[in-house]
Amino acid sequence: MNNRIKEAFDSVHAEESLKEKTRSFLAEKTAGHSKRTVVPFRKLVPAAACLLLFLAGGHWLYFTPTASISIDINPSVELDINRFDRVISAEGLNDDGEKLTESLQLTFTGYSEALTRILESEQISSLLSDNAQLSITVIGSGDAQSARLLSAAETCAAGHENAHCYTGNYQELEAAHQCGLSYGKYRAFLQLQEADPDITPEEIQGMTMRELQDRIDGCSQQVPDSCQTPGHGHHRNGCSP
Amino acid sequence: MRSEQEINRALDQYSDTVRRLCMIHLKNKDDTEDIFQNVFLKYVLSSVVFENEEHEKAWFIRVTINACRDLLRSFFRSRTVSLDEVLDRPGPISPDHREVLEAVLSLPGKYRDVVYLHYYEEYTAPQISRILGKNVNTVYTLLARSRQMLREKLGGEEYEQ
Repeated sequence: MNNRIKEAFDSVHAEESLKEKTRSFLAEKTAGHSKRTVVPFRKLVPAAACLLLFLAGGHWLYFTPTASISIDINPSVELDINRFDRVISAEGLNDDGEKLTESLQLTFTGYSEALTRILESEQISSLLSDNAQLSITVIGSGDAQSARLLSAAETCAAGHENAHCYTGNYQELEAAHQCGLSYGKYRAFLQLQEADPDITPEEIQGMTMRELQDRIDGCSQQVPDSCQTPGHGHHRNGCSP
Repeated sequence: MRSEQEINRALDQYSDTVRRLCMIHLKNKDDTEDIFQNVFLKYVLSSVVFENEEHEKAWFIRVTINACRDLLRSFFRSRTVSLDEVLDRPGPISPDHREVLEAVLSLPGKYRDVVYLHYYEEYTAPQISRILGKNVNTVYTLLARSRQMLREKLGGEEYEQ
């Protein structure tokens, strides 16, 4: 009978002593197992610290601006450039500037590509063809990168009659921001202030670069030599390569 | 790794199955203890997700049979021991049961698994073929021959498939 085999095997059971030994054996083995998992975690701590340091260092290296480009026409836009010549932020300094930066993908592109995109944008190209005045200022510490950026700006400006390229420094940029002006307008403000000490930054804010240039030109005719550019290097439309 | 609760449940549920398979294959206490413990250790460390209890039980059977086979192939294992000693260990066994178990244990190794899985666990030949990784026709042949041998040993009683 099949039942005889079934009953015979049914009478065989694991001994309680064997089960107890196995419980102890498993407890010992699994305790060892969990201890072993702690060790690699401890070993990982210095590696994780190094990784964090590397990431933080990398973040600092990448996201610290080493130069800026200020572009003024009436939209005023400021690009922060990192040491790898990439745009890490693009800020519109007035309403038109904000609209322009929102419509163009500038962040993380190369500075040359960013400048080309801005100058070739519908808004800027229509303004330029309408005889608007464009000012591009490269703000840096006067090192090789500043020279590279200026060269790129000059290349971009070369095809536009009313585009001008300048260099500047961070102290002046800081002063411009304190007046609530972009760099290009601040520079024009300083020129106008020499001829008309009563002029205020608020008046300048709403004016286009063309209006500012016309006013500078007007005061130059009235008071020769009174509207000189501030004491920093500039290249008036001599930007062609 | 599985929790203590899972370990205790598995021990309660499958220790008899593992023990019976050890009895079928192994001839001494130390080997049985080694295999028994290692099967449950494999379970504890295994990350296999079981679909249901049947799946889990089949896993225990397969792992135990494989572990026994590996040990039997090992050169350093303890060698033979008397049948009496094998049957004395899993607790008191009645004379009638002893006779049947002796008949099963006296079969060549390849028949013992199929006898246990078919007559005790009530697996079909296709199920046994999947657990043991054997051709289903081979399982049918093994079952037929083992039935014949058991009939001879146990006095011509009818062992149905």
